[in-house]
Amino acid sequence: MISAQHVTKIYKNGVVALDDVSVEVDKGEFVFIVGASGSGKSTFIRLLLKEEEATKGEIYVAGKNIGKLTAWKVPHLRRNIGTVFQDFKLLSDKTVFDNVAFALEVIGKPKHVIDQRVPEILDLVGLGEKLNSYPDELSGGEQQRVSIARACVNRPLVLLADEPTGNLDPSTSVDIMRLLDKVNRIGTTVVMATHDQAIVDAMRRRVIEVDAGKVIRDQSRGVYS
Amino acid sequence: MTRRSEYLFREVTTGLRRNGLVAFAAMSTTFIALLLFGLALLITRQVNLMIEATTGNVEVAVYLSDPVNPQTVQVITDKLHQLPVVQDVHYETKAEACARFKEIFASQKALVDNVDCSKLPASLRVKLADPQQYAQVAAVLGCQLRGSVYSCAQPGIENLVDQSRFLDRLFAVTRVFRVGVLLVSLVMLVAAAILIANTVRMGLFARRKEIGIMKLVGATNWRIRLPFLVEGLFESLIGAGLAILFLFGLKVAFINPLYGTIQFMPWVTNHDVMAVIPWLLVAGAAVALVAGLAGMRRFLDV
Repeated sequence: MISAQHVTKIYKNGVVALDDVSVEVDKGEFVFIVGASGSGKSTFIRLLLKEEEATKGEIYVAGKNIGKLTAWKVPHLRRNIGTVFQDFKLLSDKTVFDNVAFALEVIGKPKHVIDQRVPEILDLVGLGEKLNSYPDELSGGEQQRVSIARACVNRPLVLLADEPTGNLDPSTSVDIMRLLDKVNRIGTTVVMATHDQAIVDAMRRRVIEVDAGKVIRDQSRGVYS
Repeated sequence: MTRRSEYLFREVTTGLRRNGLVAFAAMSTTFIALLLFGLALLITRQVNLMIEATTGNVEVAVYLSDPVNPQTVQVITDKLHQLPVVQDVHYETKAEACARFKEIFASQKALVDNVDCSKLPASLRVKLADPQQYAQVAAVLGCQLRGSVYSCAQPGIENLVDQSRFLDRLFAVTRVFRVGVLLVSLVMLVAAAILIANTVRMGLFARRKEIGIMKLVGATNWRIRLPFLVEGLFESLIGAGLAILFLFGLKVAFINPLYGTIQFMPWVTNHDVMAVIPWLLVAGAAVALVAGLAGMRRFLDV
C-alpha cells in the first residue's frame, strides 16, 4: 500500500529531515511511527500527502509513484488518504454534520451520497447523536472523533494520523485508539505518528522507530522502545 | 447574546467591513477605468466617422483669379493630370460655386442674402487618390506657402486650399485626447486589477483554514479557486455595467444635442455605444481573471 525506497528529504534551510529511509507498509496494516520531536515523523507523513517532495528516492502510495504525479492529480491521491491531526482542524462555524459533509462536498459528491454516508460514519465513531452540535460544544475526544469521521467518510485506503492523541488525556486517548483500531479492522491501512509510549505499548502493533531522519528499528508487534 | 454568537457577529462584521470597503474600491476603480476605456473607444469611433465622412470629399481647391481665362484653366488641368496621385479634376465655375454656397447655407438666410455671389471665385476641384499627398499639387503648380496664402509661379491662380490640412490638425488634437484617455484608462485598469487581487487575497486569508482542509481532503485547485475568481469577476462586471450605463448617459447628455448642428457631420449613435459594450465586458473580465489568478497564486500551490 505504501512503499518508500531510499527516501531522503532535505529542507531548503539544509535540515536533513529524512535520510535514506526505506519502509514498506502492506494493505490493512497498522503501523506506529515513533521517535522524538524533530526525528522526521511528520516529514514522512507530509511526503505521503505530497505536501512536500522527496529530495531523493521514490514513494509509492496505492501503487502510484507520487513523485511522478502531476500537480493536478495530487487531489486525487489525497482522496485515497484520510488525515487526522493533533489539532483536529475542524471548522468552528460548521456543525459536526457539516464538518464531515464538507469533505465530500468539496470533492463534488452528490447530496444523496452525503446524506447517506455522513450519518453512517458518525454512527461508527459514536457521534450519531451529536450531528447538530458545533465543535466547541464538544470535548477534545469528541472533536477528534469528528475529525476521524471526516478523514474516513470518503472511504480512504490509507489513514494517516499525526499525533492524534497529542492533545488528549490518557483515557480519551485509549478511546481514540479503539476507534482507529476499528477503522483498521474494516480494511483501512493506518499509519500513526506518535510519541505516546503507553499507547504504543498497549496496542502491540508494528513499530517503526526513527531517529535523526533514519529508521533505527522496524519491529512487528513491537513496543515504544 | 452568547459568547459564541457575539464572537461570530464581530468576526463577520469586521470581515465584511474590511473586505467590503476594498471590494467597493475595486468596483469603483474598475468602473472609472472601463468608463475611460469606453470613452477612448468612442472617441476613436467618432474620429473614424469624421474621417470616413470627410476623406471622400476632401480635395485640394485651386482658386482661380478673376477673370478666368479658359486657356489657363486648360493648362493647369493638364499639369494636374500629369500627377499620378491626381484622381479627378473638376472645374467649378463661378455660377456653380454660387449654387453650392447657397445650398450649404440654405438654413442661414441672412448669410445667403448678404453675400454677393459674384465675389466667389471659380476653382479647380482636385481629388487625390491619397489625400496625404497634397504637397505634390502645390509643387507641380510652383506654389509656395507665404503666411497663410499660397503664391504660385503658375499664373492665374489666386490661392490653394487644401482641406485635409485642416483635418490633419483636427485629428492631431483628437489623437492626443484619445491617447491620453486611453493611457489614463490603462493606469486605472492596473489599479483596478491590484484592488481586485487584494480582495481575492483577503478572502483567501480569511478562509485559509477552510482552504487547508479542502486541500487535505483532495478538492481540486479549481474547485478551491473558482469562488474567489467569481467574486473578482462579479466586482469587475458590476464596474463594467456601471461604466456602460454612464457611457449611454454621457452620449445622451452631450452627443444627442449635437445631432444636426453641423452639416454632413456624423456623430456616434446608440449603436456605436452598443458596439463598445462587449469590449468593456471582455476588458473587465480579463482584468478580473488576471488579477484573481495573480492574487491567489502564492496561496494555492499544492
